[in-house]
Parts: sequence; C-alpha cells; structure tokens
Amino acid sequence: MNKIIFQNESINSKYDSKQTSSKTLSDRDILKKRSEKYLKLIKGIDTKLLNETRGKEELMAKIYEEFGTAELANLPLGILAKCFLGHPHEVHTLDLSGNQIITHYKIGQPLPDHFEKVRTLVKHNAYAFVEIYKDKLILIREDGTATKL
Amino acid sequence: MAQQVISYADLSIINTALRAIKTDMQAVNVDIGSINTKHDHLKNDLLKLANSFFDFVESDIKHKALQLAETRQGNLKQDLQIKFGYYTEVRRMATGILQGVDSGIVGDDTLQHTTEEVMIKAPNYWLAPALVVLASWIRDDKNTTEKALTESLKRDDYKTTLFFMLIMRRLGRNEACLQWMNRYFLHQNPHNLDREFIVILEAITTGVFQPASHQLMITNVKNWIDQLTQNDNYIDKQKVQWTIFFKTKGSFSENNYPLLKEFAPNWVELKSSFLQARAHSALDSHFKNIFNNTTDYSKTTKIQLDEILSLLVTNFDDEELPLQNEVRLNQLIIQTDGDKKAAQSLMDTEKHIFDEKVDFLQMLTNAAFDPKLSGATKVTQALAVSVSQPWILEAHDTFTAEYRNNVEETIELNIDGFKTSTTDGTDETEQLQKHDKYWTDLLENELKKLTFPTASVIIGVIISVLSLVIFGAIGIIGLLIGCLIIFNSINNHKKSKKKTIENITERKTKSKEVLRGCIAETVDYRKEFALEDAKAEILRQTLQSITPEYFSSNSRDTRNILQSS
Repeated sequence: MNKIIFQNESINSKYDSKQTSSKTLSDRDILKKRSEKYLKLIKGIDTKLLNETRGKEELMAKIYEEFGTAELANLPLGILAKCFLGHPHEVHTLDLSGNQIITHYKIGQPLPDHFEKVRTLVKHNAYAFVEIYKDKLILIREDGTATKL
Repeated sequence: MAQQVISYADLSIINTALRAIKTDMQAVNVDIGSINTKHDHLKNDLLKLANSFFDFVESDIKHKALQLAETRQGNLKQDLQIKFGYYTEVRRMATGILQGVDSGIVGDDTLQHTTEEVMIKAPNYWLAPALVVLASWIRDDKNTTEKALTESLKRDDYKTTLFFMLIMRRLGRNEACLQWMNRYFLHQNPHNLDREFIVILEAITTGVFQPASHQLMITNVKNWIDQLTQNDNYIDKQKVQWTIFFKTKGSFSENNYPLLKEFAPNWVELKSSFLQARAHSALDSHFKNIFNNTTDYSKTTKIQLDEILSLLVTNFDDEELPLQNEVRLNQLIIQTDGDKKAAQSLMDTEKHIFDEKVDFLQMLTNAAFDPKLSGATKVTQALAVSVSQPWILEAHDTFTAEYRNNVEETIELNIDGFKTSTTDGTDETEQLQKHDKYWTDLLENELKKLTFPTASVIIGVIISVLSLVIFGAIGIIGLLIGCLIIFNSINNHKKSKKKTIENITERKTKSKEVLRGCIAETVDYRKEFALEDAKAEILRQTLQSITPEYFSSNSRDTRNILQSS
C-alpha cells in the first residue's frame, strides 16, 4: 500500500562532487515545517498518475519551489510514501534524482536499498511520507512538521 | 698380557679412595644446602630492610612536605595579610554596613567617615567605592555617589552591578533594581554563564524581583536563544541529552509475557522497543507534573539571593586569588599528611566546581532534568522546559521515530525445535497447521531412523537352520535359541517404535500449548504496544501546548505579569 516516490541510486556518485561545492543545509532549514501545498502534492501522486512528461516537469518545479533550490545535492534522493492504490500495493517511491519515476511496490516486494530501511516507518500512521537524503532521513507528519532521523 | 695384569691388580685401594671421596662430597652437599637456606634468610631480611627503607623515605618525603607546607602556609598568610590585609577589613566592614543600613541604626556621619577611610586603605578593591556609594546615597549626596559609582564600576563592573542589583532589591527600590538588572544581563554571555545566574533566573521566575524584571528576562532569553540556535551545535547537544533522558523513562515488567520471553529469539529487540514506547505516558505525567506546581519558592530564593550578596561581599577578590589558592593547596597538603599528589587532585576537583561555566541552553537542560542538582526549583524547571520546548519536541520526535523504525516486523518463535514467525498473531490457524505438519514430519523421520532389525532376524534363522542340519534332533535347542533371538529383536523394535511415538506426541502436545500461548501473547503485545505508541501523540500535544511564557507559580506577581504580556 505504499509508494516509492523518487529513486536515484545510480546518480549517487554525481552528488558527491556537487555536494562539496554547494554548502549543505543546516538542520534548522531542513526541519522547517513543510507547506500544505507540498504535502498535498506528494500525497496526490496516487490519484494523478504522472505519465506525461509535462506532469513530471510540473511536479519537479513544485518540489524545487518547496525546497527553494533546484540543486540536487540539497534535495532528497527520493520520497517514500504509503500507496493508496489498494491491496496488494503497499508503498511507492518517487525518484527525485533525474529519472523522476514513480514506482508502486506490493507487499513483500523488496525496495531499493536506501528505501527499504524506512519501510516500517512509512507504514506508521503518524507519518505522511519520508524524504530520503544521502545522509539522513526526514519524516514528515500529516501536519507538515519534520523529524530528523 | 697387559689385560691380564690389570685384571689381577688389586683395585680395592682405589675403590676405598673413591668411597672416601663420595662421603666427602656428601658432606659438601649438606654444607651447600645449609648455605642456600642461609642465603634465603638473608635475602628475605634484605627485602624487609629495603621495604622499610622505602617506607621511611616516603614518610620522610611526606613529613618534609608537611613541614614545608606548614611553614609556607604561615608565610603565605603573612604575605596575604601584608598585601591584602585591609581587604579582609573591608569585607568585615561591608557586612557591618549592610546590617547597619538594614536596621538604620548607624548614623550618616559614622558611615561616611568609615567608608571613606576604607577607600583610602584599600586601593584597587571594588568593594571600597561601592560602600562609599552606599553611604553617600543614604545621606542624599548625589555628587559623591556618582563619582564613587564610576570608580567602583571601573574597578569591577560585573561585581558592582551584581552588588547593587541585589542591594536595591533588598531595599525595595524597584526602578533602580531594574536598571541594574539590565546591566547585569548585558554582562552575561549566553555561551558562558556564571554559576550564580541560575539563582538570579530563579529569583526572577519566582517573582522575588519586581514584575517588570520578568519581561526583561524574557526579552534577554529570547535574544540568547536566537544567538545560540544560529547553528546546530548547541541545539544538537541538548537534543542528544533529551533523547537519552527519554530512553531512561520507560519501565516494563517482563512477567506479562513469560512465554515470549522464553521462546522468542528476538525478545530482546521486542522488549527494547516496548520499553521505549512505554516512556511516553511516564513522560507525559512528568511534564504535566512540572507545570502543575503550586509551591511558593520565593522565600528560599530570597535566602539564596542574600547568600550571593554575602558571598560577593565576603569572598576573595580576583587579585588575591593566586595567593589564596597557594594557601589552600598548602592547607590541603597538611590535611593529607603531606601527600602532595592527593592534595593536588583535591585542589583540582575543588577548582573545577568553581570554574564550572555552562552555556545557556545547557543550563536550561540541567535545570529541566534535575532542578535540585543545578540549584534551582520546580519553577525554574518549568521555565527551562518551556524555553527548551522547541528542541524537546524535536528530540521527542526523533526518539519516537527511532524506536518505531526499529520495531521488529515479526515475532520469531522457536518452540522445541519448531521455528516460525508471526507478525501480529492473527494467523493462528495457519500457525497451528504448520505446527502439525512439523511434528508429523518429525515423527516420520524418527520412525524411519528405527530400522527393522534384519541382521538379528537373519542370525536367528541361520542359528536355527544350522543347528537343525548339523545336530539333527538335538539341534532343536539351537532352533529354540534362534527363535528367541528373532522374537526378542522384533519385540524390541516394536517397543522403541511405540516409545518414539509416545514421546513425540507428548512433546507435540506441550509445544502446541506453548505455541497457542505465544500467539495469544503476541496479540497482546502488539495491542499493548500500539496503545503505548499512540501515547506519543498525546505527549506531543502536551509538549506543543507548552509555550515559553507558560509557567505558573504561587508567587504573587509572576502570574499577572505573564497574563498581561
């Protein structure tokens, strides 16, 4: 029942070089309350299947707006959320790296490495979705507050 | 020929001589033995001597150190008397003047005369002009007051400020006290707060200072927090401490889950996440308790404030400190009977206590964890918690997420060799089916292992046939023996088969009971865990409802001021 929103393991190597040049965001910035618009956007991914390129571009633009940056180093690698497509779908991933692919995963179907470790958390009712960064996890509650793990 | 000569020679003499040598050798051996014993004794004596010599040297060093310390202490005290003797006098006088001012029985002339004399006697000491200020202020001599005040502030701005802030509070001059307090706050460095700051904070919170001081404090505190939270370091440090604090709060009795404890290999993990989930309700009452406080602490705080004042007046000045420290070290050497090392380590710990300076956030955390230990009361604890609220909330979120992330997806079971796992215990039927199958398979395997005793039967047959063939009629005995062997082995086989079946059936019945129990406990565990876990949201609401201005005390003014601000 969850969906993976972003996947981008292949691009990890590219980040490394980028991250050194750009200054990393502090916790204060990263733990800022997320906007309602952003929450709606991520939660609405199930309903609007973003098959067309235009849809994807729009989605990315909105995400850049939320984070105030289009720099990949400061963006999450991906977002993991509960999937509401119905049984047997469990979670879906949204890959923010370059491909911006939404993949829906069924119960028991293994997730990519860095997503798998938050599968339990994402299924917990307290959290709307999880942003997965290279070095940290940010849990987003229904009201938009962020928790670092 | 030569051989013959030797064989006939008389060797008895040589033999005798050899025997004599042997006897002599034995005597020598005995002598050597006694020498060895003596040598051992000597060695022991020498060792004893060496030990007592070392002891003597050590005690001699200590003794000399003691003597030296005594002499030095005397000299240093003399030195102190010569250089700073008048400081002691000023201090004694200050206490007297304060008491005189309090009771109003000393005449203005006497005050003026003595304070001015002190001023001459103690150059460089901040307390002298401060006393002049006090005396001239009482007799309304504005000119002298201002001059003396400038001098006092020049000598030691911080101490003068603290001194007048406390005096003005005692005398009930609210306006002046507020001015001094403002100056006092400017002196404080939020990265490095003095120990007495917590008492001042406490006094302001409990309403010992006038109401307006409260607003002043809140403004300052807000500024400090803005300063300290500009980067993550300080906050992260506090968050880690809070997370550890949360972890210690859960309590949980294993007796509710005796079967899981025994049969679940991942019980340790299950227990640890349960333990942490249990922390929420304990923490909820902990935080609510902090804010449901009605005791009036203002009296104790007033006493503490006066203590600071008297310490300020009676404590040594920075100038004297090096000498005073040496005196103290020598005193400690005398106390430890000349043991320099012990004295130095005692001195270091003492110094550490006095040098202890903390940043504002750490001070808040200390007060929030254990108000008594940091010299505060519950009122300050409430203030500390309410100021720290943003990162307490963040730490709680992290704490919750951490254990939620580590919750075991399945409960593993290992019952008498039957291994299975269940997520929430709702699959009892499937589990029981799996269990049945396991034991049926096991029984089958065990029975397979009990092979039919073919060899014994063949031997029996051979014996019977052979004895019949060879011995004819008499062979009938052999036939009987053979039959007995066959009968026996078949019987044994049947018995062990029966025993195996009985044994396995019994184990199966027991194991089934345990499995059922485990599944029941699993259902309970998940249910109870969900219940405790849900309390995280309640605690979160409690924490969210705390705002920096929200804390109450019985002290008369605090509440009003808070409501109006």
